[in-house]
Amino acid sequence: MEFLSLLDFTFFLLAAFGALVGIIFGAIPGMTATMAVAVCLPLTYALGLHHGLALLLGLYVGGISGGMVPAVLLNIPGTPSSITTTFDGYPMAQKGQGEKALRVSVIASVVGGLISAAVLFLFAPMLADFSIKFSYVEKFLIILLALSVIASLSSSMLVGIFSGVIGIWLSLIGDYSISDGGNGKTRLMFDFMEPYLFEGFSLLPVLIGIFGISTILLEAEKGVKSELSNERIQFGKGGGFSLSLFKGRLTNLVRSSFIGTFVGMLPGVGGSAASVLAYTQEKNLSKDSSQMGKGAPQGLIASESANNALTGGALIPLLSLGIPGDSTTAVLIGAFTLQGIQVGPLFIPENAETWYIMMTALVFANIVMFFLMFYAIKHIAKVVMVPKHILYPIIVMMCVVGAYAINYGIMFDVWTLLIFGILGYLVQKIGLEVAPLIIGFILGSQAEVYFVKSLESFGTFSIFFTKSPIAVVLWLLILASVAFSIVMSLKSRAKRRQELLS
Amino acid sequence: MTVSKKTLAGLGSAVALASMTLGAGVAMAQEGELRGNVRVVIGSTSTGGDTYQNSTIVVDKLAEHLDLNMKVDAVGASSAFRTLDRDSRGNTLMIFHDQSYLGYLYGVEGYENIFEKYTVGPTVAINPGNAYLVPKDSPYETLDDIIAAVGDGEEVRVAIQPGGVSEIGFSALKNAISIEHPGMEDNLVAVNTGSQADKNQQLFDDQADLINGTVQANEQYTRLPEDDQKAMRFVWLTARQGTIEQAPEDGLGQTTREQLLEYVEPNVHVTMGDDETFTFDKEFFFLYNKDMDPGIVEQIDEALTEIYAEGEIQEVQKNSFFIPNFKPSEEASEYLHEKMSRYEGIIENIK
Amino acid sequence: MESGLSSLLSVSIDFETSHLFFPTIIHWVMAGLFVLILVTKVVPFLAAVKRGERTMPILGEPMDGFRFFGTLVLIVAYFYLMAVVGNLFPYTGYGFLFVSMAFVLLMSLMYMHEWTKKAVTIVVINAVVAPSLAWFILAKLFNITLP
Repeated sequence: MEFLSLLDFTFFLLAAFGALVGIIFGAIPGMTATMAVAVCLPLTYALGLHHGLALLLGLYVGGISGGMVPAVLLNIPGTPSSITTTFDGYPMAQKGQGEKALRVSVIASVVGGLISAAVLFLFAPMLADFSIKFSYVEKFLIILLALSVIASLSSSMLVGIFSGVIGIWLSLIGDYSISDGGNGKTRLMFDFMEPYLFEGFSLLPVLIGIFGISTILLEAEKGVKSELSNERIQFGKGGGFSLSLFKGRLTNLVRSSFIGTFVGMLPGVGGSAASVLAYTQEKNLSKDSSQMGKGAPQGLIASESANNALTGGALIPLLSLGIPGDSTTAVLIGAFTLQGIQVGPLFIPENAETWYIMMTALVFANIVMFFLMFYAIKHIAKVVMVPKHILYPIIVMMCVVGAYAINYGIMFDVWTLLIFGILGYLVQKIGLEVAPLIIGFILGSQAEVYFVKSLESFGTFSIFFTKSPIAVVLWLLILASVAFSIVMSLKSRAKRRQELLS
Repeated sequence: MTVSKKTLAGLGSAVALASMTLGAGVAMAQEGELRGNVRVVIGSTSTGGDTYQNSTIVVDKLAEHLDLNMKVDAVGASSAFRTLDRDSRGNTLMIFHDQSYLGYLYGVEGYENIFEKYTVGPTVAINPGNAYLVPKDSPYETLDDIIAAVGDGEEVRVAIQPGGVSEIGFSALKNAISIEHPGMEDNLVAVNTGSQADKNQQLFDDQADLINGTVQANEQYTRLPEDDQKAMRFVWLTARQGTIEQAPEDGLGQTTREQLLEYVEPNVHVTMGDDETFTFDKEFFFLYNKDMDPGIVEQIDEALTEIYAEGEIQEVQKNSFFIPNFKPSEEASEYLHEKMSRYEGIIENIK
Repeated sequence: MESGLSSLLSVSIDFETSHLFFPTIIHWVMAGLFVLILVTKVVPFLAAVKRGERTMPILGEPMDGFRFFGTLVLIVAYFYLMAVVGNLFPYTGYGFLFVSMAFVLLMSLMYMHEWTKKAVTIVVINAVVAPSLAWFILAKLFNITLP
């Protein structure tokens, strides 16, 4: 245990500081974990590798966790991966259970984070070998499985699927990117739009536009009536939290953590898919999921444990293949190259010390995150007590900063906020559904690449069924998911009819 | 309503007025020099990649030397060109590599002739790592085996990212085959894919026989035991012999410079016809707005000349496996233009 | 039969036009779904509107026009002026700083229902402090490029 001598007070201090700054970044709508890591990357020059890693891993864990705060309290996902947290978190906050929702989320987060750290520590090289069994075909099926949540998420299946397809369509605008192996040609737009839309709409501005700005427009239309953002939120009352909420949710917690770790592990599939997939599976597999989407803690558990489990998962391919698992680890790779450390299949055996240091930092950051958030929640939840006329302008301002900064300074991303703010407003007005639309948008471009590339390589549609046993298993899951949502919608229709009759 | 509009107009004009006076103050600084905050946009969106890493090394030194506030932003090629187009004051500079003209030669949307549209600034460094690899248990021992096999009518699939740096080696190989085995070049097939992860994956899936990669990203894979599905072997580094010779003696990871030299010319020969051997060094250089004050071009040239004379930056670059390669603007522009026309010939040949 | 099926399933994608392959599929799916929705949802809905049972969205609803359109105008002006002012002081973030102050102030005043002295004071202080804080931390401390 030689590495213990490398752990000093500064090391822990930096990890804790990282977690704190990360939480703040994550909690501000529009600021993400990726951005937190990116802005602090230059600091690692001065800090040296081990101290630098402590800071960055703290930021990573904190940033992913912090995203739950605006998701629950303001219905704006703080980071793209906390999108599914809004589905149940915000309804709970509206019922006055914001504090409870946050506490459930924090516990789910820390469990997810620790489970994924354990998986990373014990099985990284083995899992890396497993992850390369997933080629374009299997990755496409994973995305399809995640998309299947759309059917069960919407109140009217037809409208939900239509909204989802619109989301996919929107994600295809722009070029078929060379960096994904496409031909770099643009589509779905007019020539004059090309200077702005060459790379299409970027995810984060779309997300905060459609959630943040459109919420403000809807409120403005109603005249921004109540002085308090949400006077129904009362603390103490109705916000009762106890560990018994987790009773019978252990399977969900563990399953979602593993799903998060697993999705994080697949390079390119990306962070947001993790929580969506975990949410889908909870919806399909749990005994009673009728309340999900209306404010059920089980939805929060699935979403938050999965998105924190992403951290350990995304580090697996980074440390055992040299390939980042998500956008944040892609920035993290910079910390290694800056210090002249190679990441690749031999990283762990050749840098055992650094490897143990990273594990220590990861576990410690999760624990710090837990204590910071769990005890600060009471104060954080008071955000909703700020009068709307103060809160809203600040939200718009922070959304602007986030949108502008996400791609290191592009003005069109700020206009995207407004475009999708208005779109989000119209979509809700004419009765389309926002959640399926945004899930379609998040997963659409990946679906395209994996689908087209699979066909390019194999030249036949049958490959999706015959590629590998993994593909067959994924198809079974997809079928189960679709069948489940059809049964559910028939049930609810029958129930409604009965209610009408009686 | 009227009140609010008036207030808005009032405030707007007040801000505009204030800014103008301040703006005038800023403009008082000397003409023909960098001033204020300078932003260096790069053609890559990754802050973990070689473009960002190399640019920060150079820009940090430059900022220190000129005592200015300078910052590298990874906005990506299309946004970087557009940002540069709009600012002729010298507050926006760009650093990119050979992709900037290769994209144009391959006819990728969004790329234009940089020699016409921009001022080409100084080169600063080379990334010598552009490489081609085969699986460790591949029947092809050398690149010559591959050329011969394709010449015999065997199909060889090469995983590349289309439209630039990753494709140029493939194009050169195809060109060489068309010279040595006319008519057989179509047996060399491109598998168009994306990131390094995707290219590796094509090799693991047995969807490609040869992949484009880099020394930096793939060196560890070449040290895996042969029975590992992930094990690879270098067959070709596109860099010039002279470039690799300047690399640190220890090479990279546990592959020494001596070993790396086995995979470059003249040991590996990819003909361009007329006894000429194809080589490709990925070089990083500045791009400026065409209308930017020539004084600034000169100022940066001078500053970099001094920085490179000090000798410290070379150490930093070599530590990160970059080969220092400073050429002042005029020389660089001429050199790169010549480089472009050589590759243009190859790409035309195999069309 | 066998070969008929496999030829039906086989597909060859030309790289030059591969950017249109997936969008074409999506267009067809979208068109199909749209027709279905038109028939099953929109037509019955419009019929209900005609009978006066339901109202059209947006048009038929009560609306605080001043605040709604005011918000839109303010946001457009905010985004536009930020870039314009920012361009005068390249990469200092002043465009964001100054225009945000004006924006936060005006939006706060617009959303406020009762203008008391105390409330207005808070709004003004907030309009100065919040953007300054954001600007200082992000642009100065973290060196993030702002407009």
